[in-house]
Amino acid sequence: MIVTMILVFLTAVVAGAFGGMLGVGGGMVLIPVVTLFLGVPMKVAIGASIVSVIATSSAAQIVYVRRGLTNTRLGMVLELATSLGAILGGLTAVLLEARVLQGLFGALLLWTAWGMHRGRHTDGAHEAGGVLPQRYLDESTGRTVEYGVRRMPLGMGLSFIAGNVSGLLGVGGGSVKVPVMNLLMNVPLKAAIATSNFAIGVTAATSAAIYYGKGFMDPRVAAPTALGILIGAQIGPRVGARLQSHVLRLVFTLLLLAFAVQMFVSAAR
Amino acid sequence: MSTADDRAETDGHAGEASRLPVASAVDERIERLVRRVLTAGLGLSAFLLSTGFIIWAVRGGDMPATVQGPLNAARSLIALDPIGLFSCGLLVLILTPFVRVAGSIVVFLREHDWRFAAVTGLVLVSMGAGLLVGSL
Repeated sequence: MIVTMILVFLTAVVAGAFGGMLGVGGGMVLIPVVTLFLGVPMKVAIGASIVSVIATSSAAQIVYVRRGLTNTRLGMVLELATSLGAILGGLTAVLLEARVLQGLFGALLLWTAWGMHRGRHTDGAHEAGGVLPQRYLDESTGRTVEYGVRRMPLGMGLSFIAGNVSGLLGVGGGSVKVPVMNLLMNVPLKAAIATSNFAIGVTAATSAAIYYGKGFMDPRVAAPTALGILIGAQIGPRVGARLQSHVLRLVFTLLLLAFAVQMFVSAAR
Repeated sequence: MSTADDRAETDGHAGEASRLPVASAVDERIERLVRRVLTAGLGLSAFLLSTGFIIWAVRGGDMPATVQGPLNAARSLIALDPIGLFSCGLLVLILTPFVRVAGSIVVFLREHDWRFAAVTGLVLVSMGAGLLVGSL
């Protein structure tokens, strides 16, 4: 028991560092590792993951907000969609067959990874105009980046789906929101990661409340996960802000592919 | 909106009706609130969880497979029972975003930013629905 708890803790430290760096909750690293290698049941892993997603998001957000990367108003508008999606996700998780959604989500991730890899990101090429304009300093290039948000209704609709996925699978939903913001809403990658992270705290808290109340939270797994993620998340954003965007994008693409494989394997079982 | 400071000088679509004002003074207050609430929530949660570990490591004994509800968790916390510390630590983590959103509503109301007071108010209602669904 104590050995498993320590291994869960160490996994959580690594997952937290990745999550904070990329604006993903850390669940997509944590869930496969603890279920495949440490023998933790899937539902327990999801419960632990969703609560630790709050920790990752919060710890990273303190750093992002200080750096001025977060578009807080855009984040708040998207939270409306993601929290509603999270409730529906938690409820439909009981009614729908998870493997159908997992398969679809795997396909969506592959498409997204492919789009990112082809370089259809708008880093540096985004336009001014649109709503909720924002400006930040890109530390890797030393340039001030300005942008305005476009296609808000479409972005909200897709964020609802991101919240839904979060509630269903115990991940933050950043893998959906970051490309949506970056590719469709004219938000530069670093701002998209920071803003997605901002909304993830609310999304995860909404579905974590459901998982907590419904008894899907094992303290022997959730407590070391949350604590490990907290420590790991302290490291992630400090490294991420100094990395070049293309390095960040490559790591993100590979992570999306790994997650897609995991989704297909679990859907085919 | 006297404090409004439109930051998009390079905007080529200034006449767009859907354009929302950006008030940097309010945004700074929101960002300060976000930092403080999240730091306090994370700190308290980390303290409760790590104290729980230390007490459990020293005392040993069984650990239940599910967390306790808020009332039982508070009772166990007072008794310094590890399950109470773990449950309360996880509850604090879950409630931290709720506090952040509630605080944002207060800031927007004070600044007469009704539009975003409504947006954050609806977010809190939605989150509250999640809490309700979980406890049913």
